[in-house]
Amino acid sequence: MKRERLTAFAALAVGLIFLSPVLYTIWMSFQTSDAYYTGRLEFTFDNYATALGQYDFGRYLLNSVLVSGAVTLVSLALSVMAAFAFARFTFPGGNLLFGAVVATLMIPSHISLIPNYLTLAKLGMLDSYAGLILPAISNGFAAFFLRQYIRGIPKALDEAAYMDGATPLKVLWRVIVPIARPAILSMGLFLFITEWNSYIWPLVAVGESELYTLQVGLARLYRINPGEGFLDWPLIMAASTLTLLPVLLGFVLVERHLVRGITMGAVK
Amino acid sequence: MTGIALRDIRKSYPNGPQVLHGVSLDIRPGEFVVVVGPSGCGKSTLLRLIAGLETTAEGEIEIGGQPAGHLAPQDRDIAMIFQNYALYPHMSVRENIAFGLELRGMPRAERRARAEEVAAILQLSPYLDRKPKALSGGQRQRVAMGRAMARKAGVFLMDEPLSNLDNALRVAMRTEIKELHRRLGATIIYVTHDQTEALSLADRIAVMKGGHLQQFATPDEIYDRPANMFVASFLGQPGINFVKAEQLPDTRGVVGLTAGLRPEALMVHADRPEGASIEGKVILTEMSGAELIVHCETTVGRLVVASQRRTLTALPERIWIGYDLDEALWFDTTSGHRVQPPAESRSM
Ligand SMILES: Nc1ncnc2c1ncn2[C@@H]1O[C@H](COP(=O)(O)OP(=O)(O)O)[C@@H](O)[C@H]1O
Ligand SMILES: [Mg+2]
Repeated sequence: MKRERLTAFAALAVGLIFLSPVLYTIWMSFQTSDAYYTGRLEFTFDNYATALGQYDFGRYLLNSVLVSGAVTLVSLALSVMAAFAFARFTFPGGNLLFGAVVATLMIPSHISLIPNYLTLAKLGMLDSYAGLILPAISNGFAAFFLRQYIRGIPKALDEAAYMDGATPLKVLWRVIVPIARPAILSMGLFLFITEWNSYIWPLVAVGESELYTLQVGLARLYRINPGEGFLDWPLIMAASTLTLLPVLLGFVLVERHLVRGITMGAVK
Repeated sequence: MTGIALRDIRKSYPNGPQVLHGVSLDIRPGEFVVVVGPSGCGKSTLLRLIAGLETTAEGEIEIGGQPAGHLAPQDRDIAMIFQNYALYPHMSVRENIAFGLELRGMPRAERRARAEEVAAILQLSPYLDRKPKALSGGQRQRVAMGRAMARKAGVFLMDEPLSNLDNALRVAMRTEIKELHRRLGATIIYVTHDQTEALSLADRIAVMKGGHLQQFATPDEIYDRPANMFVASFLGQPGINFVKAEQLPDTRGVVGLTAGLRPEALMVHADRPEGASIEGKVILTEMSGAELIVHCETTVGRLVVASQRRTLTALPERIWIGYDLDEALWFDTTSGHRVQPPAESRSM
């Protein structure tokens, strides 16, 4: 009993340590700039108003949501289908193709930065949503991860569905996807966060400020900060909080679906 | 009702040895056929070929008189019950049963009614809204049956559907499956490694070994006139005793034959009986309800006798086993095939 309480206490302490920068960010974002530099306590929502109004963070937020949402949906759809094909069908060149997918995991993203840039420039897709979205939608890791998960689903379930009259697409949609839902949602969350936090590509691919994502906008905030030589930290923290919140929210929404054990009772 | 014809089916898995070596079966419409054999002999493979879940390498499959080898599983009018049930874990019992109907485009109200009707037959009505994981093994088994029944398919394939149940449930479900067959009138192909199930369920039994069909006949025929020593030993519990003709006192002159003596055709005597007998001593006895199974070490090797328990009093260690060669089955010792009884034994 006593030991359990000690463990809980330790866990809480570690959790707080990890959380402290985030908490400090949020705390600071409600302070006025003057108060922050003089050490007084003075609270305000002005930083948020400034970020959203003067610095167009509402627009960046929308862009981030659009781009991350589209990347997540499209790459999930693609990788679920690829994973199903790799997990369940043998076809000529299948192993080779799967090897190629796995091989993409070993290519650092910075290596494809310039080729992607040149390709999209030739296609005239820089400075567009498509230019932000397209390079991110093929995700070898998602395909690989989901394939492994689908392989763990008893094949007898597919076969039962085929006997029941299903086509392969029906099997995928009505049997595999519902059963793999925890994995698909986890992967979706992962893809969303990755894209949300992506910085280099949006920075390179987009020059017009209407297309900035939050990460790019946040970085710009340092540069265009008014005042000589010193930064308006509370404003930056407010912008950071705006950048952070949707991800936290998404996590809270998805988290309760990330439960295992849904295949229990399928086959004895 | 749908008949099924298999002609010279051969199958090997990719980079594996050949699993089926030319199996031919002619299954009549409405027949209950049990495929039985030791595990690994290719029973499931055969069933999956009929279902279309494996593609046949060689040979022909006809379903309802039509060549079906090229058809996908969903186009074969076949329902299958899997050994592990393979229930959809994310669907309720009702949805599990109705899924096949939905896929075949039956309207919602109609398939609901059909699912409920099937559930009532299988005594699943109280569980319609439960998920499979909240069901007992026996209930899951029934859902698997219900899923197959709902579609009114012409052919039912069952791959060891009872092997995951405990014994009492197994015996009860056996009776139910037999009743179901009578009610549905569908053709059933039932795979099992359990000879008791085969004998009690089948109109005809197909005995397999190592990918070869050994015999395809009625249970009586299989038991009374097995095609070879393997079939004789595989069906019947306890198993048949084999004694070389050379070892039996009254067939000393016969060479190359083996006598098969069913345990129930032998009698244990405390004193030397009138007719033919072999001396031996009791090694151990097993009680099995009405019968007492006596294992004896004799001059011709180990013999197992099934005696009516009532007729036996305490057994002395030294006993005589009486036999009647008219009841023996005869086999060629080298090939294993059943042969005519030798002249000496008939003259006795
Ligand atoms: N998918 C497969 N790939 C390779 N070999 C298989 C496969 N399925 C079954 N086998 C082999 O085929 C043989 C027959 O298997 P199976 O038909 O399942 O036998 P049974 O149902 O009679 O136990 C076994 O030796 C098994 O190892
Ligand atoms: Mg099997």
